[in-house]
Amino acid sequence: MIEELKNTFESFNKKISKKDTIAKIRSDNFEKFSQLGFPSKKLEDWKFSDFNQIISNKFKNININLEQQNKFKFNNYIKEFEHNKIVFLNGFYNNHSFNYENEEKILFDNLKTGPAYEPQGTNSLNLLNNAFFTDGLLLYVKNGYQCKKPLVIYNVFNTKNDNNFFNQKIIINVEENSKLDLIIYSINLNSVPIFLNTSNFFLVEKYGLLKLFCINELNNNDLNYNLSQVNVTENGIFENFILSCSSAFFKNDIQCILKEKHSSGFINGAILAQDNQHHEIKTNIEHIGQNTKSYQKIKSVLNKNSKAIFQGKIYVDSNAQKTDGYQLSKAIILDQNSEFDSKPELEIYADDVKCSHGSTSGSLDEDAIFYLMTRGLSRFKARKLLIKGFLVDAIETITNEEIKKYFLNKLENKINELR
Amino acid sequence: MLKINNLTAKIENKSILNGLNLEVKPGEIHAIMGPNGSGKSTLANILSGKKGYEISGEINYQDKDLFKLAIEERAHKGLFLAFQYPLEIPGVRTSNFLKTSLNAIRKSNGKKELDALEFLKIVKTKAAELKIDEKTLDRQLNVGFSGGEKKKNEILQMSLFEPKMVILDETDSGLDIDALKIVANGVNTLRNNGRSFLIITHYQRLLDYIKPDFVHILMNGKIAKTGCSDLALELEKVGYNKI
Repeated sequence: MIEELKNTFESFNKKISKKDTIAKIRSDNFEKFSQLGFPSKKLEDWKFSDFNQIISNKFKNININLEQQNKFKFNNYIKEFEHNKIVFLNGFYNNHSFNYENEEKILFDNLKTGPAYEPQGTNSLNLLNNAFFTDGLLLYVKNGYQCKKPLVIYNVFNTKNDNNFFNQKIIINVEENSKLDLIIYSINLNSVPIFLNTSNFFLVEKYGLLKLFCINELNNNDLNYNLSQVNVTENGIFENFILSCSSAFFKNDIQCILKEKHSSGFINGAILAQDNQHHEIKTNIEHIGQNTKSYQKIKSVLNKNSKAIFQGKIYVDSNAQKTDGYQLSKAIILDQNSEFDSKPELEIYADDVKCSHGSTSGSLDEDAIFYLMTRGLSRFKARKLLIKGFLVDAIETITNEEIKKYFLNKLENKINELR
Repeated sequence: MLKINNLTAKIENKSILNGLNLEVKPGEIHAIMGPNGSGKSTLANILSGKKGYEISGEINYQDKDLFKLAIEERAHKGLFLAFQYPLEIPGVRTSNFLKTSLNAIRKSNGKKELDALEFLKIVKTKAAELKIDEKTLDRQLNVGFSGGEKKKNEILQMSLFEPKMVILDETDSGLDIDALKIVANGVNTLRNNGRSFLIITHYQRLLDYIKPDFVHILMNGKIAKTGCSDLALELEKVGYNKI
């Protein structure tokens, strides 16, 4: 597939890169990617997810989309709460509205003519993104500005031909004393399978607060890899919630650096995987500053031949005294053919720290099912109630009430669809 | 209402019930007393449909073969067991559970399901009668409840579902005297000509507040003796060995 991708890349690079320098950087990225290939389980970070095999099974070839549509029909805007929005269609910026904000306080641009990103590191999907990204978002919430309503980035796909490969970057800087609640909502309206590969950068400055919510409504043949690199400075707070309920493959890879003192990172999520789906949340939290805090709670339910993975690492630098790190992963496996893998890791170089982690997996409590059935619920209903109760515990970590309610509804609908 | 004929039960080849006979007519209150291990809870479990027992004999409930009814169907038809150890169900709000259950029972009986407001009105009244703090309804079902709160929550369910045949499995154990009175009051309020109770208990204490029509002594998996409420008092004096 990589050979074919090479041809695709060359013609793509000619079209998209207006300057030779940019073409060169993209090309370097692609070169490095092609040496590494798609990640396979030989890599520690991918040991439970052989992406090379997954993509080879799903796609014969992947083609990039360069076609920009202006008008399109979209009825899935969130109605449950007022929000600002930026809409991307098939990977390209389409429209936006910041009706609830002082627009002078929010600076943003798309990345259509944007810069190129030098190849760094060995994450081949990130290199691939650097080579192929077509558009994205660069957004600043200016000093001291607290956004009044959440911002929803609608990432809509309605591709009809086999141009099914999308690479996007979202780069957000929450400046000092500013605040943003952000939802990234990816949705595929058509049945053409897509591979969405995103690389995001977030910077939370002093006393800033970024709440990031990720939800995708892609189809059961779609693949989605999200890489989020987050830096949090003094007293900044990064809160992340992931609802992982759709896509054949959905991996959220969060690398959060708590750079300066009193910064904190919260990464929570609920996974409901079924029908051969493969979902993963991978976190790497680096405590660099003193008095930094991290908290992670991931709840997973697996049904019908599915696989879910939580790989969570807490790294505590030798300078990061008074670190407080907590991590909990719990999974319920509903059928014999599903598999849950968990790899918690603590790497601690400071001596005055408080770090704990826990991981459990098991089946639904038969005694609890019996109890509910004696109260008139069918076995099916009793199971659903218990599954909901189990996952709601993760949703409860959401600190925006409107968004919490919205996610709760989404989750309930997914649980009601369970067979 | 309930007719048990020659019921035997084994678990892992150990006999627990050895030919138990019992008839409860509509409106009657029966108390079953017995020492530890006599089979009291096994009887309650079998009536509610718990799996894992090797059973023979017959149980007729409202002239139907009870064994042919699924666990939830027994609940739909008005059989209610107040658990000795109510389960803790994390993440499920007590009020949501109560509403879901009540509506499942109503629906199966062809009654209209209650909406949130109608339900809230009823549940608040019933909770107040049982001196249950309204805040309890917002808590996760039985999670972190004290022993007394759990038992009172069972009685709340009983008074909401308005069952025909109530089995109380050692509901009195672990209750202080105030809670015991509240529970007894809950039972006495529901007592009527069409509703029957089977009260399983270790102690005579509860029977000071709920006057049974019959008292049975269960020993070695059989009813060893049946009498009126005085039997419980006698038992309290002389102990099981002398009966």
